Amino acid sequence: MFFQIARLAFFGFIVLTVLYVILSWYSRSIRRGKLETAFDEEVKTGDRDAFIKEGLARYDRSLRRKLILGVYVVPVIVVAALIYVTNFM
Amino acid sequence: MRYFKWGIVILLALLTFGFFHYTLPQHDVVRIVDTEVRRVDFGENSIFWASPDTGTDTAANRDVRFINAVYENGRVMVYRNEDTGWGWPPYFKLDSSNLQTEARDLASTSAAPRWVVIRHYGWRNEFMTIYPNAVSVRGVAGPDVQIIPWLNIIILTLLVLFIFWLWRVWRRFKERRIDPVLDEAAEAWDSVDERADAVRDRARGFWGRMMAWVGTWRSKPRE
Repeated sequence: MFFQIARLAFFGFIVLTVLYVILSWYSRSIRRGKLETAFDEEVKTGDRDAFIKEGLARYDRSLRRKLILGVYVVPVIVVAALIYVTNFM
Repeated sequence: MRYFKWGIVILLALLTFGFFHYTLPQHDVVRIVDTEVRRVDFGENSIFWASPDTGTDTAANRDVRFINAVYENGRVMVYRNEDTGWGWPPYFKLDSSNLQTEARDLASTSAAPRWVVIRHYGWRNEFMTIYPNAVSVRGVAGPDVQIIPWLNIIILTLLVLFIFWLWRVWRRFKERRIDPVLDEAAEAWDSVDERADAVRDRARGFWGRMMAWVGTWRSKPRE
């Protein structure tokens, strides 16, 4: 039983890591796009690259970025719920 | 070539459909007539069998629980009742013994039928001797209950949304990372082309000068 759980955890971790990387890259590029539009339409003055760099640094510290870690948390909850529903309800 | 491409597309579509048709849960309204346990030696069909009870040892053959059932129209269906454990498909079913007891409890005769809904996945195939795996069972009032497959609706919707999202991510990635490189490559190619043209012009000039020089050797018409 423990071997099977370990195997599930191992492959699950690999799949979820791939998803995590794609998701964080996508989210960051969305944020970059928003910053670029914000600069071009509202700020307009100053150093464009520095503005975007600072915005992305703020994004890296934000809660929104840490929410992507939910990619690892949600499936564990789903699996626990599935075990309960399938076997004990 | 076009037939080949369409062949591949149709094959992939069939495989995808088959995969989901096999894996996603379905519901049958049946009457359970009997439950049994019998020894199964897995052969070529071993891929269509799940795992032994969780916590027990794996062997080449083992006892498998079966649930025999009859549809309202008199056709029969036999389900296997196996743990899926921690493996594929992810039903996390660990309670085959309990399910067997519930099924035994709901068994009835054609004289006094008790209708049940059996949730299952998998296919029955007589050529391969494979059976759908029962996941849960519950009694219902009559054989004509309406069942809405909520789980399948949710899973397939999420799948479509996920594929759409992946496609958007890919397009974004292409726009930002691949297209600029391709454009640069195209520009580089254009400049190579231009240089080649210039070289050819110069070469023609050089050749022309050469011929002119050679021409000076020619004997001039005598006056």
